[in-house]
Amino acid sequence: MNCEVKAKDRVGTINPIFTCQPCGAQYVSIGVKDCIGIVHGGQGCVMFVRLLISQHLKESFEIASSSVHEDGAVFGALDRVETAVDVLLMRYPHVKVIPIITTCSTEVIGDDIDGVITKLEDELLAVKYPDREVHLVPIHTPSFVGSMVTGYDVAVRDFVKKFATKGEPNGKVNLITGWVNPGDVTALKHLLAEMEIDATVLFEIETFDSPLMPTGDAVSHGETTVEDLQGTANALGTIALNRYEGGKAAEFLEKKFKVPAVIGPTPIGIRNTDTFLKRLSEMTGKPIPPSLVRERGIAIDAITDVAHMFLADKRVALFGNPDLVLGLAEFCLDLEMRPVLLLLGDDNGRYADDPRIKALQENAEFPMEIVTNADLWDLEDRIKNKGLELDLILGHSKGRFISIDNGVPMVRVGFPTYDRAGLFRHPVVGYAGATWLVEQIANTLFTDMEYKKNKEWLLNVW
Amino acid sequence: MTRKIAIYGKGGIGKSTTTQNTAAALAFFHGQHVFIHGCDPKADSTRLILGGKPQETVMDSLRVYGSEKVTLDKVVKTGFHDIRCVESGGPEPGVGCAGRGVITAIDLMEENGAYTEDLDYIFFDVLGDVVCGGFAMPIRDGKAQEVYIVASGEMMAIYAANNICKGLVKYAKQSGVRLGGVICNSRNVDGEREFLEEFTAAIGTQMIHFVPRDNIVQKAEFNKKTVTEFDPTANQALEYKALGKKIMDNEMFVIPKPLDMDELESMVVKYGMCD
Repeated sequence: MNCEVKAKDRVGTINPIFTCQPCGAQYVSIGVKDCIGIVHGGQGCVMFVRLLISQHLKESFEIASSSVHEDGAVFGALDRVETAVDVLLMRYPHVKVIPIITTCSTEVIGDDIDGVITKLEDELLAVKYPDREVHLVPIHTPSFVGSMVTGYDVAVRDFVKKFATKGEPNGKVNLITGWVNPGDVTALKHLLAEMEIDATVLFEIETFDSPLMPTGDAVSHGETTVEDLQGTANALGTIALNRYEGGKAAEFLEKKFKVPAVIGPTPIGIRNTDTFLKRLSEMTGKPIPPSLVRERGIAIDAITDVAHMFLADKRVALFGNPDLVLGLAEFCLDLEMRPVLLLLGDDNGRYADDPRIKALQENAEFPMEIVTNADLWDLEDRIKNKGLELDLILGHSKGRFISIDNGVPMVRVGFPTYDRAGLFRHPVVGYAGATWLVEQIANTLFTDMEYKKNKEWLLNVW
Repeated sequence: MTRKIAIYGKGGIGKSTTTQNTAAALAFFHGQHVFIHGCDPKADSTRLILGGKPQETVMDSLRVYGSEKVTLDKVVKTGFHDIRCVESGGPEPGVGCAGRGVITAIDLMEENGAYTEDLDYIFFDVLGDVVCGGFAMPIRDGKAQEVYIVASGEMMAIYAANNICKGLVKYAKQSGVRLGGVICNSRNVDGEREFLEEFTAAIGTQMIHFVPRDNIVQKAEFNKKTVTEFDPTANQALEYKALGKKIMDNEMFVIPKPLDMDELESMVVKYGMCD
């Protein structure tokens, strides 16, 4: 076998690839309309995460902290949740949905947020806000479990669990996008619109590519409504694009409300997008229109222009969220590139059983390493000390110094990508994403050829 | 409808013994389907049901295989009269956080669907007092709805029972948990029955059963059995049978009114146990 899956064999983490669970829950929360989350923990659990998301999207948005201090850790800090809910409701008259997101400290001290929600519903909401629609959503995301990826997965499930209500079938498709950019949501909605499919998109973060308007409102909000979430129980089916970022919610809807679940594939590249559209077509009975066949053609044309001549046999290292990394690796193979190193930043025991990883293992025609629980030192060390030769890195901005210091060009993709402008606007999914990705990869390699004076003349005659 | 019951009480009072003997009686005499979830890091809540067989705890399993790989067949064992047992386990004494272990173990069991709908009773046998948020896990939302406190006529047992009631009051609002009564596990001290009756009345509950002291309990324990399994005709087996029946028929579920220190002290003085 040419492809090994192994866990990082070193104690400690140097430059982690992921942050912790509450980050995923917060990324989900910002996609909900009239919603401000309360992160129940120390202030850093919000501050650093909010900074990261803000850096990535270059937008401002609201998340609150219950700001637990020493006394809260000793005596229990649920009173701070009660105060926080009251303050949010007073301060923001439009707020309807308040997820209460736990962290490591408040999970360890055993703060019962489910219980305090019952209490708040019976007391504060009933007495002080009787005429106001308010939903409190418990989300358990202890930081020492999983990673930001599992936090995202758990939060999507908990939102769906809280709201999904059986009613008349609504003929819609639930589309759970996973951890994507506003540009991805736009691309996915475009595919749905071309197929004339009515879908509930979880979560609508397209609006995080926000305009600056004369009114001066600089705060961004998600667009997924309570009604959208309620209706998920009555859909034709659910497609969760990312197994590890929304798969749990799809399984929940299937189990509880018999809404058929399709999990994957992450529609990165031509073949995954083809599969996605076929599954949409099977679920809804709607045909794939000629307009999308044409878009597919444009993407294939873009690939043909560069793949064999410039991309073939290029050695690529990838790191980031598992669905993204696996989707990109599959796409790299289709582009004739060699994804030689895949770094997944957490130790999810289910990775080993992932059919995509199994397929990579069975079909790898060159030595390929997949490292779980990996950190960025796994990449840096291999380049600096172990003779790993690379032509390209695909990953997020936390890897920028490895790229800069070692002279390996890098295409920014995933979360967070704060060191390049406007990346959140561009999709990596769908045919548009395939086109954009292949051209980004090619242009990055071209710039590198010029910078290193490496056959840069070739571009004169291409 | 499964009744989920948490058993609390002072350390060493006989919670695990009482829980297992009651569970065995419920299964043997009353034909009930019972599950015992031991929430004590010492993991000694199920040995009488399992005949002393060591049970791999949820925390052991978590440590070895990781949380995604904890499966029911690894940690749930079936013992006397099909009583299903699981032990949370926990860290070595002096390290880590046992309370968190309880939370994690219960979460994992729920995620894996251990508490099936065919069960009549689930007992959470909890270490000692409600010392921190972790040990309150069994009485949190959607979990145990009723609590029984094991006590005796000894002063410290009553103090502990009173303290546990304070914890219960806190959770009563949030999760709807109620006190079903106090089980007296007799220590043969003077005026025990009267003391407990007065105490339980004062906090607004009942002494649901007076379990007399009987050496057969110890004898059965040495044989790694509950009394019911050891000798179902013994008087003590019938006591547990009666306790089981009273729990089945119990309709008195209250939010207790714990006493303040002065009230408690004067009650202790009255029964002359402060000399």
